Amino acid sequence: MRAARTAYPLKWRIMDALEGVAAAIWPARFKRATPYLMLLPAVLLVGLLVLGLIQIADASLRTLDTTTFQFSDDYSIANFRRALTEPLFLVVAQRSLIAALIVTAVTLIFAFPYAYLMVRTRSPRLRKFLLIALFLPFFIGQVVRAYGWLIILGNQGMVNEALGLVGVAPMRLIYNYPAVLFGLVQYMLPFAVLMLAPALTAIPEELEAAAGSLGANWVRIFIHVVLPLARPGFIGAGVVVLTLSLTDFAVPAILGGGSQDFIANAIYDQFFRTSDQGLGATLALMLVALGSILVGLVFALFGAGTLAMGRSRA
Amino acid sequence: MKRFKPTLSHLSRRTFLQATAAFGGASALGLRGAYSQEPEKPAEIIVRAWGGSWVDSLKAGVSDSFTKMTGIAVRHDLTEDNEIQPKVWAAVAQNRVPPIHINWDTTTNATKSALRGVTEDLSDLPNLANVTDLAKPAGLEGFPIVNTYGYVYVLAYRPAAFPDGPPKSWKDLLEPKFKGRLAFYNDGIGFHFPAQVAGGGKLEDIPGNMQPAWDFITKMKAQQPLLGEDPDFTTWFQNGEIDAACTISTNAREARKNGVKIEWVVPEEGAKFDTDGLWIPKGLPENELYWAKQYINHALTKEAQQVWLDGLGLPGVVPGLTPPKDLVGDPSYPTTEADFKRLIRISSKVQVENESEWFSKFKAIMQG
Repeated sequence: MRAARTAYPLKWRIMDALEGVAAAIWPARFKRATPYLMLLPAVLLVGLLVLGLIQIADASLRTLDTTTFQFSDDYSIANFRRALTEPLFLVVAQRSLIAALIVTAVTLIFAFPYAYLMVRTRSPRLRKFLLIALFLPFFIGQVVRAYGWLIILGNQGMVNEALGLVGVAPMRLIYNYPAVLFGLVQYMLPFAVLMLAPALTAIPEELEAAAGSLGANWVRIFIHVVLPLARPGFIGAGVVVLTLSLTDFAVPAILGGGSQDFIANAIYDQFFRTSDQGLGATLALMLVALGSILVGLVFALFGAGTLAMGRSRA
Repeated sequence: MKRFKPTLSHLSRRTFLQATAAFGGASALGLRGAYSQEPEKPAEIIVRAWGGSWVDSLKAGVSDSFTKMTGIAVRHDLTEDNEIQPKVWAAVAQNRVPPIHINWDTTTNATKSALRGVTEDLSDLPNLANVTDLAKPAGLEGFPIVNTYGYVYVLAYRPAAFPDGPPKSWKDLLEPKFKGRLAFYNDGIGFHFPAQVAGGGKLEDIPGNMQPAWDFITKMKAQQPLLGEDPDFTTWFQNGEIDAACTISTNAREARKNGVKIEWVVPEEGAKFDTDGLWIPKGLPENELYWAKQYINHALTKEAQQVWLDGLGLPGVVPGLTPPKDLVGDPSYPTTEADFKRLIRISSKVQVENESEWFSKFKAIMQG
């Protein structure tokens, strides 16, 4: 006798078929390896990056012959010697590193009160407003935002026009180092807030209330309760802002007026302006090394913060 | 883009010349598509170009008329010349079809590609018979590139900033009032050679001894100039950010067309004269190579050059072109021997072999 259609619906049959296919591809005896299968996309991604790095490492050991614009067959460390001895690269590296540190510190200082208010406010409207204000810049690319600052801060921009109304002559507000730092802080702020907010959410409000009820004023609560508990958020946000600032290209290029290059700009020049991909690869490797050392240092000193996904430091 | 497989097993020089002659004659008579020998037409050809008034001029002068004659659409790829170069080099090295059919490039950059061996030979273009010596790339065998016009890196300035009259020397830019009000290319291109003269050196000493140039550029660094690319100069003049710049006259002219009061001069030390050209990367299917060559051949006709270079305000490589009205007698539009004597020309070979070092040196000074 035929089974009623409703007794075994089509959807179930499809599911059965899919399960059958899945079992054929990945039999039950492989079950213990399933978690490793989940890792496969990440392994593939990292593998591709490593492959790219190997190619870059290979290129970094080859020098450019400017009579044929071909790279040498032999390996040498000439590019590394140039990168470590030519004043241009040292200046640019120093500028990038100092900027990354300043931007990280300033961004965290600005991001904390924003994130704290966003997490703790009792007003849903204010929270929505802060969230929208936070996400809006993500819809506007970094380049567009940097050009926006050119319009606002330029010689004929809104700020100088406003200053002109009170008799102040136009002043150069862009195309200098402070302008680059300003642009980077503005760009990094949403990243830092997003990294800090989960850490602040995890701090029970009762702890602050308890400290207050025991006589601590808001300064002591902030220093002895909130800040220590928010440390994972600070570390996570700090690492993200530090690495993004260190490797930034667009903001120094647009707001720096051509004279405030970072390492990424120097790499671009070697790849695309002088056709010396060997030297460009060398600088790229050194940037990766510098960023890795900095992050390693932070992890060694303070742990991985929110980037450890909630696990405590071993 | 849909690519077509080659329909000819081998495109010999003779075949190309025969087909080209047929094409040229038929084009002149307006006989579209009436040639039995022409290879299959691609749906489009891709020409890398600079944006703004540069691509507008190319479109008006060359691309539109080419499409009208052949029915082949022309797509302009506005990837920067420096950025397309490694892509083309990689494509040729990997035996892939290159991403563009024609590269509109600086002669120096194009020479690098020619030295690397990634350019097609263009010696068989019929219209090369009618061009001036300027079209021939110096120091290279045959025609791996065809220069299509020359240009001058002038001293462009706002007249209001020079109330006592136009600047006569590059040294005039060292006046304290111009601090933060000057602009140069971010690799110093166009300024290295006049700086050599302004710094008390000789052009014959290039590239052996360029210390005078570096000394003068160091003095200029104290003026805290802005450093940028072609579009930046037009924008900076328009926004009142700068009073003077070393830039290609086309950019200054563009700013003037946009209503900015701007003039330009060739200072007493001279100004760099250079050329741009067109070239075809290796690796195209034969039929596409044929039509790419036809495009360049068309760009060398008097009619195409006149419209294209009127837009750019630059002197071409075909005799008998008429200068735009606003550039008659202008030092940025050299036509006579006397005009060229005021300009500085250094061979492409010397530039190509030393450019990387000069750029680094300029950057080291300006970034320091």
